[in-house]
Amino acid sequence: MERITMHPILGESPEGKCVEFTCDGKKLEGYEGEPIASALRVNGIMVHRYTAKRHEPRGVFCAIGRCTDCVMIVDGIPNVRTCITPLKAGMVVQTQYGVSAKEEAK
Amino acid sequence: MKIEHKELIVIGAGPAGLSAAIEAASRGIQVTVYDENARPGGQLFKQIHKFFGSKEHHAKIRGFKIGDELLKEAHEKGVEVVLNATVMGMFAQKEITVMINDEVHHVKGDAILVATGASENMVNFRGWTLPGVIGAGAAQTMMNLHHIKPGERVLMLGTGNVGLVVSFQLLQAGCEVVALVDAAKNIGGYGVHAAKLARTGIPFYLSHTIKEAEGDDHVTGVTIAEVDDHFQFIEGTEKHFDVDTICVAVGLSPMAQLLKMDGVGMKDTRGGYVPDCDETGATSIPGIFAAGDVTGIEEASSAMIEGRMSGYAIAEYLGYMTKEEKDAKEEELDQSLDALRQGMFAPKNRGKEITKTEEDILISTNLLKHGFVADDEISRFPGFVHKAAIHPVIECTQNIPCNPCQSACHKGCISIGENMTSLPISVKESTCINCGMCVASCPGQAIFLVEEHEDEDYGLITMPYEFLPLPEVGDLGHALGRSGKALCEAEITQVRAPKSYDHTALVTMKVPYHYIDLARFYKKGDE
Repeated sequence: MERITMHPILGESPEGKCVEFTCDGKKLEGYEGEPIASALRVNGIMVHRYTAKRHEPRGVFCAIGRCTDCVMIVDGIPNVRTCITPLKAGMVVQTQYGVSAKEEAK
Repeated sequence: MKIEHKELIVIGAGPAGLSAAIEAASRGIQVTVYDENARPGGQLFKQIHKFFGSKEHHAKIRGFKIGDELLKEAHEKGVEVVLNATVMGMFAQKEITVMINDEVHHVKGDAILVATGASENMVNFRGWTLPGVIGAGAAQTMMNLHHIKPGERVLMLGTGNVGLVVSFQLLQAGCEVVALVDAAKNIGGYGVHAAKLARTGIPFYLSHTIKEAEGDDHVTGVTIAEVDDHFQFIEGTEKHFDVDTICVAVGLSPMAQLLKMDGVGMKDTRGGYVPDCDETGATSIPGIFAAGDVTGIEEASSAMIEGRMSGYAIAEYLGYMTKEEKDAKEEELDQSLDALRQGMFAPKNRGKEITKTEEDILISTNLLKHGFVADDEISRFPGFVHKAAIHPVIECTQNIPCNPCQSACHKGCISIGENMTSLPISVKESTCINCGMCVASCPGQAIFLVEEHEDEDYGLITMPYEFLPLPEVGDLGHALGRSGKALCEAEITQVRAPKSYDHTALVTMKVPYHYIDLARFYKKGDE
């Protein structure tokens, strides 16, 4: 999804400081301090995790840290709510399978 | 564990919590507000539309600006706001546990106000867990706080005020809204909110709901179908839309878990499971108060008044105010709150079928079913008049508590009277000076300025416009009707957007005389 650059009510969107991070090993860019989930969505990533039993995809749902559908592995820590966790340079983000990363799930 | 002590603990830094904190702190009480979010203000900073009500309810001011004002005032009064602070438990003797930076603190207050607000309801349909199905609140958070589009093509489920307002905000963010869908028979929110969507051409499907969200890894489409009186799908009525996002706005539920945990008396109501409290939010346990949506779903304007009432009641409870003082304040606020709880959508009218306005005019059924007043219905409302010279045409046809248009006009062209739910009257005898303030101040964007040139076979229609890009003088395009259907060619003759209009631009288009009663929106280019 795109960023909104100009808005009829809010005006010009603040331009953030661009930082690099990775998602499943892929180098991506986002704005420092924005929710990890926002940076992922801008990069077209919708699936944040797969459920443990039925392996169903899940993504952002409430965007305010309440539903926990968007949790991922961030810097090795599972179950991080990406919708309310600010993006930092060099973050290592991984799709979560159940409660672990892919390699361990197999 | 060491127990910290606070004079007043407020849980939740939204409109109710902050309003209470401000009033309590003004009386000299030391107030600490805990909020689990990284920013204070609750949902106010996502509300980019102009609020309804009257001046005392911050009418015609956009929600996020009200949020700024509240925060500034709280800061000035010395209210301590602790963010990223999740209150985990509430216990006897007015004690709470709160997690701040992965550390649990044990805090005891002389009084506690719970202003935790509400959470979104959901409905289940096949595929509802797919990425791309989001809550309406999520859409607002993404576009209005984080400046990203929630999706490119969106279907909205729910036509209450949240569904209507968020749909409009999606358009403002540059998204396409393909349809609004609701299982109910009638549109649940204000007609004026629906009308400003309908005239852009968005269809409403009432008595419809989602059958299935389609897609393997994320939403790629959606199928809706009509439902019967028992909410069962009617076979053969399916309709498909290619969308990447489905937005769900099907109501809110009070988040009263902390109060229940504390042992406060609760009650089950139509509005959810809420604390049994009086007008000031005093619960069954002395010293424990509740305000805002946690006591029953309303909106931010009433939450702010409830918060202030609780602030006074707490001041009295803690000995900072006499009972007489408190009672006087309470009475004043009670009137203000009561004014907001009137009209067609008042809590007392929920579930009732209303067929006539307070003025005994048949309401527009087309507005309830399709989102716009039909062309043959509009002339029965008092805001609709004919006159050669420029004059306001006010397409506000439901009794809602709102009157900024009346105070915006200093020439007496608009009359609502004492009762703020009365339908606005366009006063034919008054002289409109084309200042445009009524158009810009109407939170429902329901006012148009019309100039009729019958002899020369044209008319000028000035409409509110809150999208980008703004049309420019000389632009040629089409005038759209209330349903969003292209009617005739139109030329833009004036575009005004001074600061006083607060981001509601006024766009004037020239149309053939025949269309002056029908043309209500503009679209550039052919089609």
